[in-house]
Amino acid sequence: MKQSTKTRFDKKLDKIRDREEEKLSNRIQNRSLNKFLNNKLAVFGFVFVIIVMLAAIFAPFLTEYNPTRPDLRNLLKPPSLDHLLGTDQVGRDVFSRIIYGGRISIIVGLGSALGAAVIGVTLGAYAGYRGGWLDSVVLRVSEIMVAFPQIILVMMLVTIAGQSLMNLIVIFTLTGWASLYRITRAQMLSLREEEYVQALKAFGLSDFNIAFKHILPNFLGPIMVNITLNTAMFILAEAGLSFLGLGVPLQIATWGNILSIAIDLRFLENYWWVWVPAAVMISMFVLSINFLGDGLRDSTDTSLQG
Amino acid sequence: MLAYFIRRLLFLLPMLLIISFLIYLGLDLTPGDAVSYMVSPDIMANITASELNAIRESLGLNDPFFARYLKWLGGVLQGEFGYSLTSGVPIKDVVLDRLPATLELSIFALFLSTILGTVFGSISALKRNSGTDNVLSVIGMMGVSIPEFIFGLVSIVLFALHLGWFPVGGRLLPGYETFWDRLPHLILPATVLSLIMTAGVMRYTRSSMLDSMNREFIKTARSKGLPEWRVNFIHGFRNALTPVIVLIGFRLPMLIGGTVVIEQVFQWPGLGDLFVLSVRGSNYPTIMMISFFSVTTVLIASFLIDVLTAWLDPRVKLD
Amino acid sequence: MSQNSETILSVNNLKTYFYTNNRCNKAVNGISFEAKKRKTLCVIGESGCGKSVTASSIMQLLPKLARIEEGEITYHGKNGVVRIDQLERNCQEMRDLRGADIAMIFQDPMTALNPVYSIGFQIGENLKRHTDLSNKEVKQKTIDLLREMGIPLPEQRVNDYPHQFSGGMRQRALIAMAMACNPKVLIADEPTTALDVTIQAQIFELMEKLKLEHDTAIILITHDMGVVTELADEVIVMYMGNIVESGTIEDILRKPSHPYTKALISSTPILGRGKDQIIAPIRGSTPDPYDRPEGCQFMPRCDYADEQCKTMPEITTISKTHNVRCWNSIKVKQNG
Repeated sequence: MKQSTKTRFDKKLDKIRDREEEKLSNRIQNRSLNKFLNNKLAVFGFVFVIIVMLAAIFAPFLTEYNPTRPDLRNLLKPPSLDHLLGTDQVGRDVFSRIIYGGRISIIVGLGSALGAAVIGVTLGAYAGYRGGWLDSVVLRVSEIMVAFPQIILVMMLVTIAGQSLMNLIVIFTLTGWASLYRITRAQMLSLREEEYVQALKAFGLSDFNIAFKHILPNFLGPIMVNITLNTAMFILAEAGLSFLGLGVPLQIATWGNILSIAIDLRFLENYWWVWVPAAVMISMFVLSINFLGDGLRDSTDTSLQG
Repeated sequence: MLAYFIRRLLFLLPMLLIISFLIYLGLDLTPGDAVSYMVSPDIMANITASELNAIRESLGLNDPFFARYLKWLGGVLQGEFGYSLTSGVPIKDVVLDRLPATLELSIFALFLSTILGTVFGSISALKRNSGTDNVLSVIGMMGVSIPEFIFGLVSIVLFALHLGWFPVGGRLLPGYETFWDRLPHLILPATVLSLIMTAGVMRYTRSSMLDSMNREFIKTARSKGLPEWRVNFIHGFRNALTPVIVLIGFRLPMLIGGTVVIEQVFQWPGLGDLFVLSVRGSNYPTIMMISFFSVTTVLIASFLIDVLTAWLDPRVKLD
Repeated sequence: MSQNSETILSVNNLKTYFYTNNRCNKAVNGISFEAKKRKTLCVIGESGCGKSVTASSIMQLLPKLARIEEGEITYHGKNGVVRIDQLERNCQEMRDLRGADIAMIFQDPMTALNPVYSIGFQIGENLKRHTDLSNKEVKQKTIDLLREMGIPLPEQRVNDYPHQFSGGMRQRALIAMAMACNPKVLIADEPTTALDVTIQAQIFELMEKLKLEHDTAIILITHDMGVVTELADEVIVMYMGNIVESGTIEDILRKPSHPYTKALISSTPILGRGKDQIIAPIRGSTPDPYDRPEGCQFMPRCDYADEQCKTMPEITTISKTHNVRCWNSIKVKQNG
């Protein structure tokens, strides 16, 4: 039998109903935007990402220290008013290394994600739409690439091509396009048979035109989500590789490079300020991107769940 | 079903061939004389120039590319991987030597993470937006956002250095051979790896389960008056399972590649560690062979999972 | 509302609201009707009028973000009277009713069936839940049910999966599943919308047969006036969450008294009238449920609208069986 006392859920619904009665409608009509803004974690993620990116861009204004210049008189000093996060094992200011390091880490992450997106989406849209041998070939290639464990493939290519920032971005792009390719292709395959496509074809529009101008815009949502999540993935990948000493060359500050010192247990235990800020920074940034990506996914979701 | 099995097999074999070709291409392109890794270092040490040339002829190293490729492939199929440039040890030996260490970690982690991830992901989905769901979701988020090595390092500091519960690294101390001796060393890296993987599986399962519970047949199941547990498990979970198993297929590359970082952090002597050493030492033959080995393992495991999935899905079973 | 001994399910002033996106949608806003033994009650209306929501409310199968606000749903079973609206959504009592006393068939048989279990398994689930039959007996009964629904070779087909059936066969299987425990009430939510017209006729024939053989009350939800003409004993016409007119099929067809009902009838082509028959579409479109007009919901599209329509019309009783919600029903009836 039903309880006579109302549950908290019921009271929440009552509030919505009463608000509706008084015609207090939302000012924001766009459902997606509204849903996104209601997702506190997604908004937090978005704000945090923007703040960090701004800090990275305006790095010179935030710190006077050069992130790469050693200062052998000030080794391993703990945080103070002078050096907000202390100095590292060769005397570099940790705070400035974090901020400048952010630049590189974000460029690698975002740049690779966008590069992978351009390749993956283009191939998926065009090859997926045209079908035929082009599609089969690209599909096989993507399957082969996916079969390699990502780290191993990346390290193999780094060995062959050499270690540099540009190389790393290119390698990440080359190893990362497959996922977006599969997604775009799947969407393309299902929408290709829609009637409006037949109509457009009857009008004589070129394949290129139909694929990119008419069909593609329909699923920009999942693509955006994927780009965000790929950025997170690449930032973590760069950190891992740099930690192993095989990512961005050690002279350039990145969050991963800063962390590589932590493999030495003495630093890990005794000089926490050298590595903890970078660790927190990466984790928070990637976490924020994930919140953002999840929020995007939920707000472009069409099911009646919330 | 048999037809599906054969079809998948016919698909697998050309892939392996293409990959072997690419690997050999890479091997050929890297700097270094092929002789140096194809001939045992004992022989190489006491050789004269003319003997070297003779050997080169006999190994067919002056033949055109394709002939060399086929010879190399033949060798590989017989287990001849060549010799490590840095240590001179036959690559096959060193790979097989280190393989068990890696598999210990990766199989344990894949297995545990699949079970924990599926269970907690489903619970999360069924109790959508509840306290439990929120806590699990946050844990899941953190698991996929915090870099692996940080996780590993922090756990070493905490559990090995400060609490002293586990040894700091390595796989076993010399002189101790039994599984029970090894266990303390295994626990920390295996747990760290498992937890990280669980986070990903949990998030994915949650999403898959939510989709499944949203489908029409769930309403039908309820309309028959079935109890909730049956609706959730027999109907909801069973349908959410298929994408999760597909996910296992995508995670298989982690069998060999997933332990690379963890092995470094915990000084675990596995294939991942060997790979990093080889990269640092520009030991191309070893690098290529490990890559080849890992891809082959993944493809074969993938094949097996595909067949398993097909067996579970009646739409494929009967065609 | 009068309740004679034939009434098996009565709904009184049912209000069901939806709460998605932090908005409140009054999907069903005060409807009352009765379902009687051996009679087909047709619920007709456009998409979004609340007919499916009514069905879900009766079965207590509403989504999480919806609830029954007010009203009574009363089932007159052989064990006495049950107030369905008072029951917890998935409590034991409600679940005992579902499948055994009140059953439902859905619009799209392909999505309504679980693709990974056989038809036999899914029908068997219903039997196992509500009866004491042994596994062997359940299997046999399932085969009998399939045969009764007109599925050939039932002994083989019972082990087949949904995707191995054709659309019409799937719907028959769904009906078999719903009728398995001889429910007193069968709710059919647009059962033939996803099927060919020829199959439609067969399915309806089947339902008629079951109704008479098992004394079932059928609540048939549809948007097709032609279907109503063929099958209905009684009709309720819904628009935007209200019942605008209700009565026997005679009342509705011969003496439509609501502008919407009239418009529905005029907009349906009738076989035999030839190609020159006048089919008049209803002007305008259904309003946004979150932005409803004041008073009578049909007013913006109505030819008879005047000032008083700005308040929701009361129920006018035209005869013992015939009711309407319209200030101008007399004028409407005259013009009919």
